[in-house]
Amino acid sequence: MIFSISGIGAWGPGFTDWPQLSALMRGEQDSAATAEAPKPAVIPSNERRRAPLSAKLAVEVCSQATAHYPASERQMSCVFASGLGDTELTEYMCRELAGEKKQLSPTKFHNSVHNAPAGYWTIATGCSRPANAVAGLYRSVSQGLLEALVQCQTEGGPVLLAVYDTPATQTLSSLYPCHSPFAAAVVITPSTPDACEATLQWEVEPGEDTQWPEFFLPDLLMSCYKTNIAARLLAVLAPLSQGKSAILRLPLSVGTCLRLQVTPQPIS
Amino acid sequence: MQIHVLDYQTTTAAWLNVEQMREALATRRSGLRPNDLDGSDVDTWIGRVPEVDAAGLGQWCSRNNALARFCLRQGGFEDTVAKVQRHFGNTRVGLILGSSTSSIDRTEQAYCHLDAEGQLTADFSQDVVHNPGALCLFVADYLGIRGPSQLINTACSSSAKVFASASRWLQAGVVDAVLVGGCDALGLSVVHGFNALQLVSANPCRPLDRDRDGINIGEAAGFALLTVSPLEDLCTGIVLEGYGESSDAYHMSHPHPEGRGARQAMVAALDRAHLNPQSIGYINLHGTSSRVNDTIEAEVVASLLPNTVCSSTKGWTGHTLGAAGITEAIIAFDALNTGILPVNLNLESIDPEISISVVVRDGYDKPEHVMTNSFGFGGNNCSLIFGLGSTDSGVSGALA
Repeated sequence: MIFSISGIGAWGPGFTDWPQLSALMRGEQDSAATAEAPKPAVIPSNERRRAPLSAKLAVEVCSQATAHYPASERQMSCVFASGLGDTELTEYMCRELAGEKKQLSPTKFHNSVHNAPAGYWTIATGCSRPANAVAGLYRSVSQGLLEALVQCQTEGGPVLLAVYDTPATQTLSSLYPCHSPFAAAVVITPSTPDACEATLQWEVEPGEDTQWPEFFLPDLLMSCYKTNIAARLLAVLAPLSQGKSAILRLPLSVGTCLRLQVTPQPIS
Repeated sequence: MQIHVLDYQTTTAAWLNVEQMREALATRRSGLRPNDLDGSDVDTWIGRVPEVDAAGLGQWCSRNNALARFCLRQGGFEDTVAKVQRHFGNTRVGLILGSSTSSIDRTEQAYCHLDAEGQLTADFSQDVVHNPGALCLFVADYLGIRGPSQLINTACSSSAKVFASASRWLQAGVVDAVLVGGCDALGLSVVHGFNALQLVSANPCRPLDRDRDGINIGEAAGFALLTVSPLEDLCTGIVLEGYGESSDAYHMSHPHPEGRGARQAMVAALDRAHLNPQSIGYINLHGTSSRVNDTIEAEVVASLLPNTVCSSTKGWTGHTLGAAGITEAIIAFDALNTGILPVNLNLESIDPEISISVVVRDGYDKPEHVMTNSFGFGGNNCSLIFGLGSTDSGVSGALA
């Protein structure tokens, strides 16, 4: 069965959308200066102030990836994947609870759930379709991809996949040296529409201790790829930016990998 | 395609395993106790499992992982998992677990023991633990599961949604069997967090009661083995017949006032199971004992399944958050074989605004199909339907 990628969003160090990220990966453009956080217009401004960085990143790239769909078709099942969740909120709660008062902000508490970005996205867009939130540490991106592809195959599509990770707090960065935010989203559809970015074919294969693919990236992006767990989606986006087909094997579990054949489509 | 439940185990404050669950449900013995968590002064009741012991976990050390291991060790469950792995091959058995807190209990501890520079000390430098996917990493390592694994973390619907994802994996042929389940251990963050939202009760929780005044937080673990090709000597007869997932698209921590997402999930589960509402013989409600949840959920059930008897079992276990889905799925589908419909523990006078039939005595007819609901923060809903599978490969009750 063939799937296609029919919409991409991206936000991270030196880029604020997919065309910029794509040009950066081809070495055609210098990094643009980026703000500390995106300001997704789809979230009302009073809600946006309360939204954590993780939610703002995820909602921004979801908005970009679905922008070409008419509003009536933007309601699609969605899968959110992140390796670390929101370490700032984790640290906030743990520091408060290690102190005397142990009083938590109710908003920060409900924002600390791993599916908070899914919540902000579905609330902001009035999407009543199923929303999933998955985590698999260093394999979060491949696990998110698998969930989205399997949903697409068994339930029909389109399915929106968003991956995001924010910089780890200073205390937790000794374990997870993640220093820059990265988020990307792709819309995966079960058929091949006339105009899509790429087609995908997938399979789960045995594969002992599969490693994430090595490929060329400019320094800033390479550092992001190595340290920000969500940025491992760059392995899938790189063939698209180059316009070259690729067969990727992404680590899925100790004994298996996700084999992904990515075939970029000429822009019509 | 029928998805069979091969075996299951559950650990909560009210029981340590399936055998004890049947006894506790029949004798109406609750596991709730006044809050005695170290360092917590919140005036509430909790569902704690005192037997949990993290000894020997090494780099995996956390209360959550210890609770998961405790549950896996009950009955012959680990032997069943090993047998299924031998039967299908070790990369053909997958793992999908739900957890909301993951191992934040351990992260809380780590921040109480930071060194002078504010850094993690060696004992707490556990990259496999301080992350939202920790439970799956641990269980895969502990049981030697090498197939695909996935941790679903959608707050209080987490370990209900594992059945939906597992069903899809089996349908797509990703694996031949899936170990599903979930685990959430008690920690200060959940007790103090729900207290900050003014949702916890100073009393034992009383779902559906006129005088209910909030929830009790509990901890629990539960697991179930699913496959489309049952092994001859391993079968409970129980099959997953339907699931429905939805989003409220309303508010991060308040349910939709008309229960729009809850209704959508229940309708989707009924549609997928090809069942009409009259066929459902029992519903295990989400029934948290919060004022708002119980009223809204009951309204939806009253309009959609007016003839089905229901109960919330939170009076036994407390609200076990990310483990509620698997815990209540097990309570509900175990009734297909035992015929034990749990009463709505701690109910004295039903809320006059609630007009559903509640289980109040023994001796109801054994259900042929049961439903269970789980709703989480972010407006994340999941409803499941289980039944007794047909021996032929007919369409009745088959998951489409």
